[in-house]
Amino acid sequence: MKIIESNKQINIAECYFNGSIRRPIKYLLYFILIFFMSSCTDFIEVDPPKNVLISKTVFEDSSTVESALANIYYKMREQGMISGRYGLSSMMGIYSDELNYYGFDTNYIEIYTHHVSPSNAVVLAWWSHAYNLIYAANDIISGVETSVNLSQKQKEEFKGQALFVRGYMHSLLVNLFGSIPYITTTNYVENNKVTRIPVNKVYENIISDLEAAATFMGTSDDTGEHVVVNASVAKALLARTYLYTEQWELAEAMADDLITNYSLELDINSVFLKESSETIWQFKPNGVSYANTYEANQFVIRFIPGQTYALSDSMIGAFESGDLRLSYWTGSATSNDGLTTLYYPYKYKALLSETDSLEYSIIFRLTEQYLIRAESRTHLGNIIGAQEDLNMIRNRAGLDNTEANNKNNLLDAILHERQVEFFTEHGHRWFDLKRMGVANEILSPIKPNWKDSNFLLPIPETELEINPNLKPQNSGY
Amino acid sequence: MKNNPIYRGRIVLFCVIQIFSVSLYAHSLANIEMLYANTHVVGLMQQSQIHGKITDSNGVPLAGVSIIVKGTQRGTTSDFNGGYTINVNNNQVLVFSFVGFKTQEIPIHSRNELNVIMEPEVMSLDTVEINAGYYRVKDRERTGSIAKIESKTIEKQPVNNPLAAMQGHLPGVNVVQTTGVPGGGYNIEIRGKNFINSGTDPLYIVDGVPFGSQSLGAVDISVGINGANISPLNAINPNDIKSIEVLKDADATAIYGSRAANGVVLITTKKGEIGKTQFKLNMSSSLGQVSHFLDLMNTEQYLELRREGIVNDGFGAFLENPAFDFVWPDLKTWDQNRYTDWQKELIGGTAYRNNVQLSVSGGSAQTQFLISGAHQKETTVFPGDSNYKKTSFHNTISHRSDDDRFKINLSTIYTLEHNKMPRTDLTGKAYVLLPNAPALYDEEGQLNWENNTFDNPLASLQEDYKVNINTLIANASLSYELLNNLELKTNLGYNNYRLESYRILPSTARNPEFEFTPENYSSITTNNSKRSSWIAEPQIHLEQHWGDINLSVLVGTTFQSESAEQLVIKGTGFPNNNLILNLSAAKTLEVRQDSDSDYNYHAVFGRINLDWKNKFFFNLTGRRDGSSRFGSGRQFGNFGALGAAWLFSEESFLSDNTFLSFGKLRGSYGATGSDNIGDYKYLDTYGITGFEYNGTNTLEPTGIFNPLFGWEVNKKLELALELGFFNDRIQINTAWYQNRSSNQLIGIPLANTTGFTELTGNFDATVENTGLEINLHTSNIQTDHIQWTTAFNISLPKNRLVSFPDLETSTFANTYVIGQPLTIVKLYHALGVDPDTGIYQFEDYNDDGSISSPEDRQWIEDFSPELFGGLGNTLSYKNLTLDVFFQFKKQRDYNNLRVQATPGYGNNGPVSLLDRWREVGDASSFMLASGGFNGGLSTSSNNQRRSSSAVSDASFIRLRNISLSYKIPKEFSYGMDLNVYLQGQNLFTITGYDGPDPEQSSQTILPPLRQFTLGVQLGF
Repeated sequence: MKIIESNKQINIAECYFNGSIRRPIKYLLYFILIFFMSSCTDFIEVDPPKNVLISKTVFEDSSTVESALANIYYKMREQGMISGRYGLSSMMGIYSDELNYYGFDTNYIEIYTHHVSPSNAVVLAWWSHAYNLIYAANDIISGVETSVNLSQKQKEEFKGQALFVRGYMHSLLVNLFGSIPYITTTNYVENNKVTRIPVNKVYENIISDLEAAATFMGTSDDTGEHVVVNASVAKALLARTYLYTEQWELAEAMADDLITNYSLELDINSVFLKESSETIWQFKPNGVSYANTYEANQFVIRFIPGQTYALSDSMIGAFESGDLRLSYWTGSATSNDGLTTLYYPYKYKALLSETDSLEYSIIFRLTEQYLIRAESRTHLGNIIGAQEDLNMIRNRAGLDNTEANNKNNLLDAILHERQVEFFTEHGHRWFDLKRMGVANEILSPIKPNWKDSNFLLPIPETELEINPNLKPQNSGY
Repeated sequence: MKNNPIYRGRIVLFCVIQIFSVSLYAHSLANIEMLYANTHVVGLMQQSQIHGKITDSNGVPLAGVSIIVKGTQRGTTSDFNGGYTINVNNNQVLVFSFVGFKTQEIPIHSRNELNVIMEPEVMSLDTVEINAGYYRVKDRERTGSIAKIESKTIEKQPVNNPLAAMQGHLPGVNVVQTTGVPGGGYNIEIRGKNFINSGTDPLYIVDGVPFGSQSLGAVDISVGINGANISPLNAINPNDIKSIEVLKDADATAIYGSRAANGVVLITTKKGEIGKTQFKLNMSSSLGQVSHFLDLMNTEQYLELRREGIVNDGFGAFLENPAFDFVWPDLKTWDQNRYTDWQKELIGGTAYRNNVQLSVSGGSAQTQFLISGAHQKETTVFPGDSNYKKTSFHNTISHRSDDDRFKINLSTIYTLEHNKMPRTDLTGKAYVLLPNAPALYDEEGQLNWENNTFDNPLASLQEDYKVNINTLIANASLSYELLNNLELKTNLGYNNYRLESYRILPSTARNPEFEFTPENYSSITTNNSKRSSWIAEPQIHLEQHWGDINLSVLVGTTFQSESAEQLVIKGTGFPNNNLILNLSAAKTLEVRQDSDSDYNYHAVFGRINLDWKNKFFFNLTGRRDGSSRFGSGRQFGNFGALGAAWLFSEESFLSDNTFLSFGKLRGSYGATGSDNIGDYKYLDTYGITGFEYNGTNTLEPTGIFNPLFGWEVNKKLELALELGFFNDRIQINTAWYQNRSSNQLIGIPLANTTGFTELTGNFDATVENTGLEINLHTSNIQTDHIQWTTAFNISLPKNRLVSFPDLETSTFANTYVIGQPLTIVKLYHALGVDPDTGIYQFEDYNDDGSISSPEDRQWIEDFSPELFGGLGNTLSYKNLTLDVFFQFKKQRDYNNLRVQATPGYGNNGPVSLLDRWREVGDASSFMLASGGFNGGLSTSSNNQRRSSSAVSDASFIRLRNISLSYKIPKEFSYGMDLNVYLQGQNLFTITGYDGPDPEQSSQTILPPLRQFTLGVQLGF
């Protein structure tokens, strides 16, 4: 690969002496140059290193575009909000009422005690990581567009995945930070001075990206393991987004679509295994160093102390008697002196150090679609339909049909069902409390520092310093 | 084809062969002429034998003095008793020369016995020559600003890196040791920070060959022990160095063009001397210890604060509930009376260093050689058997033809370093580990995990970090005097630097409760890196005299090519831990990094030096540089400088002045540049990360690229006055400089919304460094038996951001202030503890009722030193020599509060934390105790750590070096040179600084050690 176009023969003298070297020695210098040099630009051209690819070439071959996308999946699994490490599952678990935190990390204590400062490292990491992925997605979107060698089908497939990532990241950001910028370009000049747009505009963008993604991608699962995004994943997020934006008909229709095409895993013991039939999208763990999920590694308590998180009393108390999820999806550990017993999420059981891959980290599963449809149907007045959906989930957990039979009861029942079904999964609980307007009522009795302003996280301080257009800071910070 | 490295190499090789063959051809031609010329002379003069004895002023015989018949190549050297014999003609002149003594020329006048007393050489500006890189210049005629340190000063310091030897000795040069762990690095700053974003590393030239000083350490492996900063200069044995010259102003540096903006450091190694074959043996042993321990809380104090903090946080009830005992084992399950001084335990050991060096040197008038080998072993203050070993070889051979026209000089340095260290520096742990933490080992000698409540710091001793480094620096310099005033010269050099390191994480270094096994946990990460570079620099030197005018011209060209490779591999899962060093036994291998880079550099340079009447000197230097680090069309840059000097003491009105013996006014102005930005930054690329997802290797965008960046420019202006009084017994040099750097290449911070945090580009900001440097050298007493000299230097640097277009709207708005230094930090203004609430108070700059960033972070502190320098005295009485050297620096830095602002956290801290707020009305220096469980209090504490109170004076005066040496009289040493010496390094420090070390303010890095050295030097 040639970096410098030097097809023209360069005048040696010009190349060396457009500076100011004086006449007497000029001739002497000419003389030396003729002796010692063939051309002055040739020598200072170097080949690009072997560990990089020129960006343009990346988008001329489907396998390198796949590598660029693999980078996005890899980063989503390892860092940021949806990762099983320091992601929403644990952090929003301690922010809401699912988990207690026993560690000494001040960043986590700030989150646990609702004193999040604008310089909180976890918040900054989530923010910057999300925008880094959005850049990567945008670069793929624009890169495949101008590609010469890729087929139309390949282009759409790649673009669909990238659009999904863009929409997904923004959907998490808007839920955590409220009004945010929506980034659709790689132009740093623009993105460096970008302003925040209202929440409803952000959602409009998310929906349009996801709709496009759903049409670009097919529904087939080429990997056979649901480890790469396809149209169904985009639809699952669309259903959730319609629910969050209270577009009940659309939410119901989208959930309906997925429910017809997937089947609920009826064995409660298999829901989090990698072969679970209800999985819509899951991360394949790092096959090299670790065979299993970060979730198990982070939550499972083998001895006391051992982890910094444990399920809160209110979480354990939320399970109805006979709920199989309490016995199958939680575990407990008791200290040697018998004085302390801690409960932990035990959805994922295989530890990192175990060598067989039993579980993958699930991001979207069909149960959510049942509960989305149940909630939408409730709002649309289809009480019986809502009960049916809710009962599917309750029955699997060994519980009787719901007794809720009117809109308000049902909404309460669904909120409760989501609590015991999705605990420590991707912040579902927190987002439910927030969108259903019950955070105040539920959290203020049990979280001493809870304030109204805690609905949103603060925009990272350094971000406001660099780009004042993002001001004002969210209220309360 | 033109990108083919073989093709490129061929061009250069062609050039080199050209000049070499021209030299050889010319040489053989000249020899033939000589042959004819010599036949006429032989047999015309009467020869006789002359003999005598050579002694110093104390009458001690001097062996090895070179005696040459002037105008010929014939000569001899004096024997053990100072005697010599030589055949001469009656009317010839003998030249007596010996290192450290004045050279004498004595006519024979038909004598047959001639006894000579050699007089010690007084530092005289007339004779001192300074190495300016491509040329040498007499100190008195020098137009540029060059600071120098010589072997006699370097040898007195028991250090293992050349940079360490420079600390405090050179005006304008600020050297800071980054860690007390052997094998680590140094930071150097010559005349301040020029560029907003790039480093301050100068260009290093070792015997004419540029030496890459960037560390090739891998972050994965050694970030915990030496910050992955391994100074390649460790490879150069300070005892092999003859002199280090630091080029500072435009006049001295412009000839190095684009790489000289941060100054140039020239390291010249020792060469063989004409004379008898000499053996020298140097052996020394050092003891090193941490010089200052922090005053930390004892168990009772710590537990009191901890308990109080937890109660204040509102968890008092939990403290009484046994179900929560596991949260605070220090208060519940651990022994409440146990006390361990962890500083003593973890960093309180003694580091031993043993050093032995043997050299053989000598030679005839035509050929001289020096062969030297040294071995050194150094241990650490940590527990365990960590150590650093270095073996270095240094060989030089110089030859000149009989007619003095052809000269060749070869020198080679080869160094092997082996460093085995714990994975992490234990210093950080030593300061924070709880005073009642349990024993490190259990009864069976295994690491103690105290029922899973203790994170044993010694685990890191099992997690070895080991590095082997091989460094080769080879250089050849050939020259031929084509005509009497025209010399052709070629410098050839080759460097090879190889670094192999690994770090292991064996399962046995982990708490067994985690059930880690070699199979599922043990791993090794290896780093194989190498960098090699070659350089060829053909040059022509021309001298011309016209009456009062002397003209000297130098023209040359440089071809330099450097390539670096790095391969980092992680192997995980081993059948057992004995196989952990063998990657092939690993179950899985991950390539973490496989990178390479090429850097090619090409230039023409020149110098025109004009001297009129030996009074006025003009020096014009220039360079045109091309670098592969820049994109198309931006690869070339021009740099140049003009220097001038007026030796006013030569003027008639001063020539008879007995008071003023030397006076020179000099000045220079010019431009240098910097391309120190890393390779390939102009390319828009995707990087191969070494990770994979679902079997697909990942490719990530490497950043926002900018093809449009070019050289940084640094314009240097200097004015200096050099004075000598009383026959140069007092010398005062004063230099004032103003360096302005523009077209700044910076990583412009970007908002994260761009996807990245910075962008490399040129920015039209100007940074100015001004300063005054004073260097004083006095010879206070100069008698036969007693000599006392004093050297003093002081630098007063000032750094200022002159202009920065649109600073207010730029991403630097909250970092820099126009008119202020680049080294500032913006902080909250601390107003102390509120006596009513016990919480830290800060100035609310924008009066909005809350303390927030950036609006209320308006307090400015500057961390660059206000002044620094050194004071050295050398006193010798007969055979006894005493050197005392003080280093001083006036500066501010972060103090303990930067790390610890809250009493009651779950780690140990300074005793001063006890002065905390307890009840309404308390006037205390610390806030109320908090266990860290109250997020509201942590904001107060975080702000305090980023406030004006976290910065305090960190000035110091340090007895950096003291050296006492005694030369045993010959009658007791069987005629051998025998020197016994005692040296101390970093003996005591006067400072008001509240932290581990004012020079190294980090709380996690081992500060520089205090060392004592006893040694003996033997020569025969």
